[in-house]
Amino acid sequence: MSEKVQTDMYPTDFAVSLNNVTKIFMQWQRDNTKKGMLRNLIKPEKRIITALDNVSFTIRKGEFIAYAGPNGAGKSTTMKLLGGMLMPDSGDISVLSLCPQKQRTALMSKLGVLFGNRTELWWDHPIIQSFEWKKVVWGIPNDMYKQRLEMVTELLDIKDLLKTFARELSLGQRMRADLAMMLLHGPEIILLDEPTLGLDVVAKRQMIDFLKKINKEDGVTIIVTSHDMDDLEEMAERILMISSGKIAFDGSFDSLRAITGNLTRVNVTMERGFIPEIKGIKPVSCDNGVFEYDIDLAKMQVKDLLKHLSTVSGVKDVEIKKAPIEQVIAGLYRDWSLCKAEA
Amino acid sequence: MEGKLTIKRIIGLFSISAKMDLMWLLRDTKFAIVAIIADAISNISVVSGVYLIALRFGGIGGMSVDEILFMMSYSTIITGLFIMFGASNNIHVSRIIGRGQLDHMFIQPLSLKVQFITCGFMPFTGSSNFIIGCVMLIISAGRLKLNITPWWIFMLIVYLATTMVIIFARAYLVSSAAFYAPVAAEEISSTAIEGTWQLSTFPLSGMPYFIQIPLLTILPEGFMCWFPSMCLLGRPPLNLTGLYPLIYALILSLIASYIFRKGLNFYVRKGSNRYVPYGFRR
Repeated sequence: MSEKVQTDMYPTDFAVSLNNVTKIFMQWQRDNTKKGMLRNLIKPEKRIITALDNVSFTIRKGEFIAYAGPNGAGKSTTMKLLGGMLMPDSGDISVLSLCPQKQRTALMSKLGVLFGNRTELWWDHPIIQSFEWKKVVWGIPNDMYKQRLEMVTELLDIKDLLKTFARELSLGQRMRADLAMMLLHGPEIILLDEPTLGLDVVAKRQMIDFLKKINKEDGVTIIVTSHDMDDLEEMAERILMISSGKIAFDGSFDSLRAITGNLTRVNVTMERGFIPEIKGIKPVSCDNGVFEYDIDLAKMQVKDLLKHLSTVSGVKDVEIKKAPIEQVIAGLYRDWSLCKAEA
Repeated sequence: MEGKLTIKRIIGLFSISAKMDLMWLLRDTKFAIVAIIADAISNISVVSGVYLIALRFGGIGGMSVDEILFMMSYSTIITGLFIMFGASNNIHVSRIIGRGQLDHMFIQPLSLKVQFITCGFMPFTGSSNFIIGCVMLIISAGRLKLNITPWWIFMLIVYLATTMVIIFARAYLVSSAAFYAPVAAEEISSTAIEGTWQLSTFPLSGMPYFIQIPLLTILPEGFMCWFPSMCLLGRPPLNLTGLYPLIYALILSLIASYIFRKGLNFYVRKGSNRYVPYGFRR
């Protein structure tokens, strides 16, 4: 872990670069039958999990990346590899031209890491004390500390929380304090693993606005994982999707929609007693006279749809909008899961 | 901003730990004082048991009552140092490993070594035993009419540091098991150290070799206070050199370092599939 590595061996224009990275884990399998218990003693069964399978991608400085995938796809493993907490089995990783595994201490003064389900705050101390601890441990110069503290206090609205013990904060307040603490040393890249986990709408909104602001104004590269696809779409310009350890999609949210067939959500509001019929398409839901359809506009054009609806009796209103990204991605996950089962 | 690891920086790291400790003490001073007193009473009761036996029988195994008091003072100082420098599970490191909390340390721009040495310093809430031990040492040295020279004080510091190195090394050696079995070995360090702590306060003078030798080789209990105290009194036991604890500490720490590194290597390759937030930062 402490081996010295030349810093010029990695490209400098990329914030992050992964080149054919593979990470494999082994899982013990346990059987609770009598025969199985005996087998566990003699020759325990193990299963090989390929968390990352020859993954390669690059992220330029200043990008805001959504890193998504179903449970167990390899998102947290990637985050841990980038944060120097895990070693890859093969392949090269570079973060700001440094190798996280071999130049960890140098990298950590430029990197910020936040796991939504963990806190870096000192539980039984006021928030400001945790901040001061960070100043000493990270060796943040006085002037920079004062300036950054002022900035995060204002932007994250935590002035009233500074003297409160971490254990007395609500989840949303704690996340804001954690985020503020992470930013005190002015990281060039931040890794956020499920930062909106468990937050209410107001707290989530504050966090999203703040992240967008520091990305836009300070050029901080942000990589964020979340299961909330609507949040991801709002924050990031580019989405990297991982499935079964492989990069399954890399591009914009619009191109992601396009590959799933330009799926569109159509809401048809009907007069009482009328049911609309659209050729070969069943409604997804029906509530209080509003019938919801998912229509692939690649197969049926808008003009044809409207022409058809104009002939249906009892139509009061028609609303056409992009399908929620959650739904697009759920469809993708289902497809991937079917492919995996077939393979 | 990476910051070189200068003496000033290390002092800064100790200072922030000390400040956090003071803040913790002042958070609820009443309860903190009660906890400090309870801690001191509990540790003094362990050593007074041995002292009272020595008083009743006019010494133990060829050691006079005052020599026993001297040995108990050494033991109390060691307990004090253990509490003063090991507040953040940095000695009982199997807890950090077993609970998957090493990840928090990986994201700090400091080597793990520096973090482990500096993060558990609590001179305010953890110094009661150290102070009591020093007072006992002054009293016993006076009663024994020891010739206190700067060299003797230097050797006292060397032996105390050696005992602490042995404690650290043993804790890290057994804690390495937690890399491979995080759930089963989470508490292995406290079991290994505290389970035999009472044995370490007993004077081994006059005991048969088959008791003395294992406690100076397989188990290091003889180094916790008996052997170094005898050296400081000018009578190294078993005709061994006074350098023996230093050699033992060196060998044990080299073995512990090798095994711990292997475990750490395993951890960063396999990762931890367990994370529990309790006991992480008070």
